[in-house]
Amino acid sequence: MVNTDTFGKLELELRRGVVVLATLSQLRAPRYGYELRQALAEKGMPIEEGTLYPLLRRLETQGLLQSEWKLEAGSQRRYYSLNADGRALLEKLTDSWQGMNAAMNALLKEDKT
Amino acid sequence: MKMNANEVVESYVTDVALRLPRKQRNDVAFELRALINEGLQDKSDETGRAIDAAMATEFLNAFGHPETVAARYRPALNIVDPADGQKFWRATSTGLAIIWGLGLLELFQTAPEVGFLNALAKWWMGTVIGSLWWPGVLVAGFGISAWAGRRWPQKTEWKPKANDRIRGGRLGIVMGLIGVMFGLYILAKPTWVLDVVWGGHAAPVAYQALTYTDSFLQLQGPILFVLMLLYIPFFIAVLVKGRHTPMLRRIETASSLLTCAVMLWAIMDGPIFMTATSDGVTKSLLLLIVIFSLSVMAIMRFRTVKPTPDQQVQIGR
Repeated sequence: MVNTDTFGKLELELRRGVVVLATLSQLRAPRYGYELRQALAEKGMPIEEGTLYPLLRRLETQGLLQSEWKLEAGSQRRYYSLNADGRALLEKLTDSWQGMNAAMNALLKEDKT
Repeated sequence: MKMNANEVVESYVTDVALRLPRKQRNDVAFELRALINEGLQDKSDETGRAIDAAMATEFLNAFGHPETVAARYRPALNIVDPADGQKFWRATSTGLAIIWGLGLLELFQTAPEVGFLNALAKWWMGTVIGSLWWPGVLVAGFGISAWAGRRWPQKTEWKPKANDRIRGGRLGIVMGLIGVMFGLYILAKPTWVLDVVWGGHAAPVAYQALTYTDSFLQLQGPILFVLMLLYIPFFIAVLVKGRHTPMLRRIETASSLLTCAVMLWAIMDGPIFMTATSDGVTKSLLLLIVIFSLSVMAIMRFRTVKPTPDQQVQIGR
């Protein structure tokens, strides 16, 4: 029987691998941190605030995102969106993910039969 | 002092921001505070509870420890490469064990004079606390090595090495050969050192100090001489072959063990030299050579790999 702790650790590793791709995929249009988190959660990919907000800054430092402060509904919010490099990277990562996903599906289906 | 929800959030934001580089500190703090407040408001709407300090603390604990969150704002920094973790741990624990062990030996020597508790306190303060330089040196060494590996990745590329290669190369063997010849000469005529250093004008007492006892001259001396002499054809064979074949390796192990045994016999059997001082110094040197040789052999044995299945191989598909 699989140990819950082992499952938790391995699942976390799987999630870590897709967090960046999931985040980039939702930044084709500008979004601020809290809005982005909700968009991800609604689509079945909840990411902890303590992970997501720093990640946005790191991606920006890496030159993949652009950001600006805007005043919306009486609050000042920092909006992030993909820049040209971010869009190119998202495209490449998407291809890579789809390739891996297809391979994994085939592998897992083979295992069930 | 009782804090309200705002003060709890401010305290958290400050704790995170203080761990960030100065140039991004205020901007991140401003954004983080707004995001936390929005999250808290959402939670309050969901639960129908008014925001209070307890709710804020619970929310922020789920957010993550300020140190962890602050670390996520910056690229991960590993001083010791994770791949070197085990090696670092082994080097740290082995080094500390040796330093503490040598300190304990000193403790037992001094305990009868100064009292056990005093000796123990001295060991703790002088040896144990003092030994922390060792992990510090290792962190610096491993850190520089990891940095160099990232900076010049091609230099740290794996290259195949033959298991029977000559460690130290042919030059090492030639140096070993010269060392053995010097050793043989000193063993045969220890006063030669005095002739070289003082041009034959050393005090007579010095010559007397380096005079062998009769028992050493009759027993261990000739055996040690023959054993050392055998290293000459051995080194020549390694030079000619250009590699340490399994047979040469076995011969080397056997002769090293035999030489160590004779040295230990000489140390325990009685005086080697006529005077106590030269005898003590020589025996200490011999003991160091024995410990070094046995340690090298033990390490070589420990580092041997013989690919073998850990259970019987079943015949089948």
